Amino acid sequence: MRKVAVVGIGHGRFGVRSDASLRELVFEAVKACLDDAGVPLKEVDSMVTGIAGDEFSIALQPSAQVHDYIGFHPKPNFRVEGACATGSMALRTGWMNVASGLADVVLVVGVEKMTEVATSVATDIMGRGGDATWEYPFGTTFPGYYAMIANAHMAEFGTTEEQLAMVAVKNHYYGSLNPYAHMQKPITLEKALTSFTVAHPLKLFDCSLITDGAAAVLLASGEKAKALSKKPVWIAGLGLATDTMRIGDRKTLTSILSAREAAKTAYKMAGVGPSDIQVATVHDCFTIAEILAYEDLGFCEKGEGGKLIQAKETYVGGKIPVNVDGGLKSKGHPLGATGVSMAIEITKQLRGEAGERQVKNAEVGLSHNVGGTGQVVAVHIFRRE
Amino acid sequence: MDFKNFSLAISQTKVARFADDLAAGKIMSTICSKCGKKYYPPQADCSECLSSDMEWKELKGEGTLVTFTKIYVPPDHFGVRQALMPFSSIQFEPCPIGLLAVESGLKVMGWMPKLDLKKIKVGMKMKASPQILPDGKVTIILEPI
Repeated sequence: MRKVAVVGIGHGRFGVRSDASLRELVFEAVKACLDDAGVPLKEVDSMVTGIAGDEFSIALQPSAQVHDYIGFHPKPNFRVEGACATGSMALRTGWMNVASGLADVVLVVGVEKMTEVATSVATDIMGRGGDATWEYPFGTTFPGYYAMIANAHMAEFGTTEEQLAMVAVKNHYYGSLNPYAHMQKPITLEKALTSFTVAHPLKLFDCSLITDGAAAVLLASGEKAKALSKKPVWIAGLGLATDTMRIGDRKTLTSILSAREAAKTAYKMAGVGPSDIQVATVHDCFTIAEILAYEDLGFCEKGEGGKLIQAKETYVGGKIPVNVDGGLKSKGHPLGATGVSMAIEITKQLRGEAGERQVKNAEVGLSHNVGGTGQVVAVHIFRRE
Repeated sequence: MDFKNFSLAISQTKVARFADDLAAGKIMSTICSKCGKKYYPPQADCSECLSSDMEWKELKGEGTLVTFTKIYVPPDHFGVRQALMPFSSIQFEPCPIGLLAVESGLKVMGWMPKLDLKKIKVGMKMKASPQILPDGKVTIILEPI
């Protein structure tokens, strides 16, 4: 296998982008990515597009809209999907393209245009990200699933609603420092705790946002990466794991076992452990999900996630800074773009280009991207050298 | 009965009789005749030994509550529309749902009608039962024992 590096990053502005269509959002991210890499599109061999939902994009092959609009034809492009982890599936597929020798330079695009449909319809579409036959008849929604996980975690470990709200406060603080974030304003603990209940015990500020957005990274093989970039960021480890469709069939509700499995694979491949990670982007689709991520990735013991945020150990300067780009919580969660956006933040951190949010001398970073409630999870580890 | 009366979404499956059984007052599971693995929800095929020789068996509904929630922002399908009458409003009080661990580690999802959120605790003993709704659809409810 050949070594693969990120040699270009491009992040579009996340938010309610009623000014732009799916393909126009992608154009912004791709242009920024090629500018950052200093590589013209004609030098890109192949492309992978991550888009989670046909129903959001209201098209059967939205990836064709994308390659058409940026003028990439006749070169290869296809779409990959893994619900909320779609962006990481695209990155993994891009990596496979380069590592295998099938292509030297690959453009990885993640995008979701979510606000073209009404919020209630978006809630419906995402609810069917659970088991659409056996769970959906009980009115399940994504907040509903994570609410059930939260209640189980609270009952088993005494995790509190305040601890959940502390995750929201942290991520909104960092989102306020990220010019690409959907919600760029800090919130207070009180505001989070007094917001309306979406699905008990999760309140409005425990939930990530329905967001439009696109992100792109350019990958290149070992020698090519060194020639193209002064600061290549290497993809050192990749882990992917799956779990049951229904949460009722899980061995536990207080851990996402597929995340643990994916992390184990990625740590082994990169030759590092949890204590080597200096900065992480994790899947905080809901505040409880970030607490599970701390535990599943080995940043703390099982059941101790609530205490980790309470001690502010996941802020810059703490034991392990997490989601210092605002996370899905305040940056927004355009399903297909999220995993690519995570890779961009880690690349920025390892390049030392994260500005006010910079983790000092970060050399090893990790991204953790959960599809659904863990039906598919990708963990990626990045290194500066 | 159309399986859609339970699933709301699909009609076509090898286990479509599940909806008829609910209407007849039974929550059914399947068991692999070859290796004995039990399935709820029922499966027509065994993922353990790849046999498709399955037997139907009624599930004992008693068990322990694993978790629960009450969804205040429902999906579109269950959405409450604004009242058409001027100066009027709709008071929406959703029904909690829960996940009950029954026999052999199988778990049954169900509605928990009329249960006050404050009285629902993880670990409480409950029973799952079929329920025919006023519009003819069939579903499952969980009630304290």
